[in-house]
Amino acid sequence: MTTYDANGITLERVREYVWEIPQEGDMRVPARVLASEALLEQIEDDKTLEQIKNTTHLPGITDHAICMPDGHQGYGFPVGGVGALDAENGCISPGAVGYDINCGVRMMRTNLTYDEVQGHEEELVDSLFANVPSGLGGGGIVEAGVDTVDEILARGVDWALENGHAVEDDLLHCEDEGMREGADPDKVSQKAKDRGKNQIGSLGSGNHFLEVQRVTDVFDGEVGEAYGLSEDQIVVLIHCGSRGLGHQTCNDYLRKIEQQHEGLLNQLPDAELAAAPAGSQLAEDYYAAMNAAINFAWVNRQLIMHRTRQVFERVFDRSWEEMDMHLLYDVAHNIAKKETHTVGEDGEERELYVHRKGATRAFPAGHPEVPKAYRDVGQPVIIPGSMGAGSYVLRGGENSMDLTFGSTAHGAGRLMSRTQAKNEFWGGDVQQDLEEQNQIYVKAQSGATVAEEAPGVYKDVDEVVRVSDALGIGDKVARTFPVCNIKG
Amino acid sequence: MGFELRDHTADVAVAATGDSLEAVFEATADGLAAASCDEIPPETGERFSLTVTAERREALLFDYLGELIYLRDVRAELPVDNRVASIDAPADESDADAEATAWSLEASARGVPLAAVDAREVKAVTYSEMRLESVADGWEAYVVFDV
Repeated sequence: MTTYDANGITLERVREYVWEIPQEGDMRVPARVLASEALLEQIEDDKTLEQIKNTTHLPGITDHAICMPDGHQGYGFPVGGVGALDAENGCISPGAVGYDINCGVRMMRTNLTYDEVQGHEEELVDSLFANVPSGLGGGGIVEAGVDTVDEILARGVDWALENGHAVEDDLLHCEDEGMREGADPDKVSQKAKDRGKNQIGSLGSGNHFLEVQRVTDVFDGEVGEAYGLSEDQIVVLIHCGSRGLGHQTCNDYLRKIEQQHEGLLNQLPDAELAAAPAGSQLAEDYYAAMNAAINFAWVNRQLIMHRTRQVFERVFDRSWEEMDMHLLYDVAHNIAKKETHTVGEDGEERELYVHRKGATRAFPAGHPEVPKAYRDVGQPVIIPGSMGAGSYVLRGGENSMDLTFGSTAHGAGRLMSRTQAKNEFWGGDVQQDLEEQNQIYVKAQSGATVAEEAPGVYKDVDEVVRVSDALGIGDKVARTFPVCNIKG
Repeated sequence: MGFELRDHTADVAVAATGDSLEAVFEATADGLAAASCDEIPPETGERFSLTVTAERREALLFDYLGELIYLRDVRAELPVDNRVASIDAPADESDADAEATAWSLEASARGVPLAAVDAREVKAVTYSEMRLESVADGWEAYVVFDV
């Protein structure tokens, strides 16, 4: 048997790109890592493998805890972690979703070509930066009272439609049509609502961004056509989450779990994996609050997208409808969802809380939860790269249900710490190099953020996507390259 | 005595020391401010007070840092120059006259308007790898923040 020794943790090769950490001690199941040896080398020295092992201690974890090809060290769960926990006898873990509930990405198509945008890049980046709130304390597109926040939490993008920030077609191209059932605003604390009410329609900072991109490659013509993608086309990618409302919600429930389910917490090797037992009142409350925060994040991305349409209208002097600026798809990559999966050797159907933290749902063609528009070809999966590299559009692969509970990667994955990044890069140099060498126009609230998000701090997104494609969990459809980028 | 920002692949960690529990809490909070902003203006902003209670000492540190993040968002101010005036332990349960049943903290900070600084968002405090330990010459803390 081929093995890989990663600083004291031995991984056994199951097949190409599938590695297993065997069950031992208090692990309830084995852990799996989906990676090439090149990707494994990048995580062998940090805590990624220890964290995916820790995840296997969660009650009700089913088959395997799985680390995606872009996995890296996080807190509690690794980023890139997938854990399916039995929804009847297991638990649900706020830490395994993450603080930024429904952090995710959406891509909007246009019918513009790169030729039409060239020469307008500076005007476009300046106008986007001036009109899309970003950074800390930058406000939001909408300032809301508590009643409005409650409506957003309960109804998601349907609220945006009613208030002129969306069109019907937007809902049809969003996961769950932009509204989670079972969302309960009353389960979200007043503190969370107070944080969120001035941030509705804002990017935030860190690795969140809005990027205008051009399609450089279409690898699968049939699926590309179904997604409305063609070479040289301009698209817009938006990456952000539920802002302070989501962060506070996770924080609140972690503390409640600590106070009410200390016995379960004491069984776990990392307090950040704190979980509420399935069926408990707290599990129900967290699920309802998380669903509400998911709706908030969808509205956040919707407002930013709709504002982007207005910016394009001014810059290109025609209506957004004329520019065919329609949502391709919106995917969450920090989320837990109750889903039914076939598990175990006897093929039993079980309802599971599938936790995806830094991982993207990737349901294949024919799955009933894929929106009708894409059911024949599979769910779009959007994989943002760094601001100097390409991003990818994949489709949910045929093997995803068997290998990963219908999941794949969510991005390039960080390689370098933020402090090291700031020592190695200077924001002004990074901006200048991107513009002069690659014609990529970047505008940010903070030079430090540009340094922390420099292309060199990320893994090779091409290698992450190659492994996803080779495993058949997320198949390559198209590649895009940045034109201009704004961030906090 | 003070704090250092430590490497973490995705997030930011603060390692802090202090000659008292109050001092190590202050240093950790100042580390949070430093993780948010490279250049903190020396005099801008008014001081404000906060009180936090929790059932354990580590939970008090978690809730104190979480409260600073919450106040940053709702006040639109970055809390800096943190001062912890007092930390009180729960009263001994055998003392029938005692009232306090939780750890509590009285603190203050200078709130620098976010518009006046080039700050980035620290999303949350985490329990991951958290340490709060008594050592020979005082206290040590280690906290990972989600960025």
